[in-house]
Amino acid sequence: MIVVRQKKLEDIQAEIAPYKRVLLVGCNTCAAVALAGGENETSRMASTLRLRNAREGGDKEYSFTVLQRQCEPEFLEELDHSEADVILSLGCGAGVALLSEIIAKPIMPALDTLFIGAARGYGSWRAECSACGNCVLDQTGGVCPVTRCAKGIMNGPCGGVDNGKCEVDPNQECAWVTIYDRMEDLGRSEDAEKIIEPRDFSRRITCRAWGLPEGGSK
Amino acid sequence: MGVTQHGRGAESLLGELLAPCRAACPVHVDVPRYVQALAEGRFSDALGIVIERNPLPAVCGRVCLRPCEDGCRRCQLDEPLAIAQLKRAASDHGVYPTLEAAPKRLERVAVVGAGPAGLTAAYDLARLGYGVTLFESKPEAGGMLRYGIPAYRLPAEAIAEDVRFIAAQGVDIVCGKTLGVDLDLEQLRADYDAVVVAAGLQASRPLPIPGNDLPEIATALPYLATCRDGQPPALGERVIVIGGGNVAIDVARSARRAGAREVTMVCLESRDEMPASAHEIHDAEEEGVKFVPARGMKAVVGTDHVEGLETVRCVSVFDADRRFAPTYDESDRQVIEGDAVIFAVGQGADVASLGLETTPRGLLVVDPATLATPTEGVYAAGDVTCGPTKVIDAIAAGHRVAASIHATLTGDDRLLEMLDEDFEKLGPIPEAVAVRLETRRRVQCERLEVYEAVETFDEVEEGYTKYEAAREAQRCLACTTGAQLDRDKCASCLTCSRVCPYGVPVFQPGGYPYFNADACRACGACAAECPAGAIRLGGWNEDEVAEKVAAGLRRPEKDKTIGFVCGYTHDLPSLLGKDAEIITVSCLLRISDRIVLGAFESGAKKVVFSGCTEESCRFPHAMPLVAERVCRVRALLEEAGMADDFVVSGESEDADDANGTADSADDSVGTKPVKEGAR
Repeated sequence: MIVVRQKKLEDIQAEIAPYKRVLLVGCNTCAAVALAGGENETSRMASTLRLRNAREGGDKEYSFTVLQRQCEPEFLEELDHSEADVILSLGCGAGVALLSEIIAKPIMPALDTLFIGAARGYGSWRAECSACGNCVLDQTGGVCPVTRCAKGIMNGPCGGVDNGKCEVDPNQECAWVTIYDRMEDLGRSEDAEKIIEPRDFSRRITCRAWGLPEGGSK
Repeated sequence: MGVTQHGRGAESLLGELLAPCRAACPVHVDVPRYVQALAEGRFSDALGIVIERNPLPAVCGRVCLRPCEDGCRRCQLDEPLAIAQLKRAASDHGVYPTLEAAPKRLERVAVVGAGPAGLTAAYDLARLGYGVTLFESKPEAGGMLRYGIPAYRLPAEAIAEDVRFIAAQGVDIVCGKTLGVDLDLEQLRADYDAVVVAAGLQASRPLPIPGNDLPEIATALPYLATCRDGQPPALGERVIVIGGGNVAIDVARSARRAGAREVTMVCLESRDEMPASAHEIHDAEEEGVKFVPARGMKAVVGTDHVEGLETVRCVSVFDADRRFAPTYDESDRQVIEGDAVIFAVGQGADVASLGLETTPRGLLVVDPATLATPTEGVYAAGDVTCGPTKVIDAIAAGHRVAASIHATLTGDDRLLEMLDEDFEKLGPIPEAVAVRLETRRRVQCERLEVYEAVETFDEVEEGYTKYEAAREAQRCLACTTGAQLDRDKCASCLTCSRVCPYGVPVFQPGGYPYFNADACRACGACAAECPAGAIRLGGWNEDEVAEKVAAGLRRPEKDKTIGFVCGYTHDLPSLLGKDAEIITVSCLLRISDRIVLGAFESGAKKVVFSGCTEESCRFPHAMPLVAERVCRVRALLEEAGMADDFVVSGESEDADDANGTADSADDSVGTKPVKEGAR
């Protein structure tokens, strides 16, 4: 899933400063699961903005709604924004982008989109994928060096490894140590020794859009 | 069931799933809801909830045989909740509701007999807008409650309280009028659109044995009535009571109070077969009543005066088909010495002269579904139709007859149909959850000491104090008030399963959680944390909380402080001034970020969170989760520039200084220590 995080209220206020009627739009898919943009969090942000507005004697009006998924045009059709001067999106970057494309009004992000990640328990996620378009997880025991290695190196570990920890963040496991351990557990230590080819950055750059080939399947 | 102040016009009076206590109650009083209100110290709310189904709370709180308690799921852990005593606490400490009058109807109904069935029927009919006259042959309303049950179990004032409430709904109570003597049934049929005969069982006869006409012979009902009037006859030092039911126990205990030094109860049944309730037998024994079970009565011994009772051993009372067919061992004879004999061997109806169709037992013939007699416009309810039953069964019959009359007079039979509505009952607590639940013994009611009790007809049980009632209510497992999923909103985020310590939400194919109602403890953590707002709690509505907040903020005498207080808190913290609006909840876990922020949006100047202590907290996960929520809300308020307006008790030194203000709250549960322990 896409992991997102709410921006600071001050930054959000700056985004919407010129507008009076603000419609907050939540997203009931990744943003809800990331505990940042579901109905609960959207209503909470609307309340906080109203309280701040009241305190500052502002004249802003806040309302909110939640869409099932902001990154689907069909779901956006149900959005009634007639009373809004600006839309504050509590979706990921894709949601903000699609809203902006379809609705001819300013669309402002209330969230920062962080990464593609997996849940580690209640309210906790870890980045697992950088969407590089050039997946090597078959060679790394399912641990992504692009994402989990601070330097993103394709053959590690680097000289900065210290007791299995990363020199950039001593709380962080070294991705490459994890890769070797995992491959060993899988009985694939020999494969782990093999040199991985440099990343083909062109694949990422060209992959701006993708669809199933005509006919719906390969 | 019957007519409720909220339920009128509703299509269903019950939810789909009932807590076992509620399912077992013949009128399905919403026990979990009123017990929850008591646990939070909201006595008037609790009383209102009881009255939705039962207009005799003070009476039933004392004398109900409490089938609900047998269903209580606490039986799996320790002992059932003291539901009847809690009902009494609601009536002792709560204020009877002022109900909005129903639009008046033109039809008039006469109800004959102001016992529990008649009172309930009259109440329901008045609530439906009918003009109701309730006739009673005795000088005061109450029927067997007033003249059959002794005052030490049910004081006149308790009956009067309920009767006053019923009369306040527009029931015209006319005492001293006996059907067949002062009232003519045909005249009533002519004057009213319907007539309900709820005359009860007034006849009480001795057994047909030699010596039953001696001077020191009495029968149960007249004897109990004279005790109620304060003038029991002097029967002698040694009294023999014949019978093994609850009425016989009432007679025996009354005889002790009336001065008998020695009271012996003799009955056909063996000790295990005696129909009297176990706790009644226990109480009677404590007061010195002797039991001689499994004896058949042969004769009252004596020439001019009673000298004793001749008995033989009763081998069996019932035959193989459970029919009454006693067999005796005539060789085992015994004379029990005594100066008087009181027969408490069943009651009969006294309605033969009314001209209505009767059964071979002399009871009135009715259609069990509608309680209509074969005589048009005449209905009957209560013991007069079915023989001796429980008070709560008579109340159920009162509801039924009212609904039936309403159906006949208006053609609208929804109320009547609702009485037979199907429901499902909550199952037992799964073992995996049961092992994680704390055991807690019942809070014992103060009682008169036995030596004091037998000296007077004063009420034996003193009833719970507010504090005791709240403590007892807090043992409730809150059955059926747990999590319910709105699948349309669920984002399958798994947050519910991550915050639930009991492992209740189980994810199913399709990605939706399933909440097993048998296992859910209704703490509220999942509902407040669900990012999609997809979880509701039974009987809990955030909009209602918001309304309470708004109402509190409108009160001019209040200082715009909203205190969300765990109902399990022993004392209110001093940081809640006496002008704060206090909203008690079963756990602070239920107070979501939305509610707190909403309170500020509604104009609250200060919001206070006051939780319970580690020792009183029932939920192992509540404290850390609430602490996390407090941090989050603080951070949000910080951004809004008002973090200082959100206060949590126990966080600072002076917050611990908790006392003094408790008494100022309307329904304070006080600070008195409580006696707990085994019966």
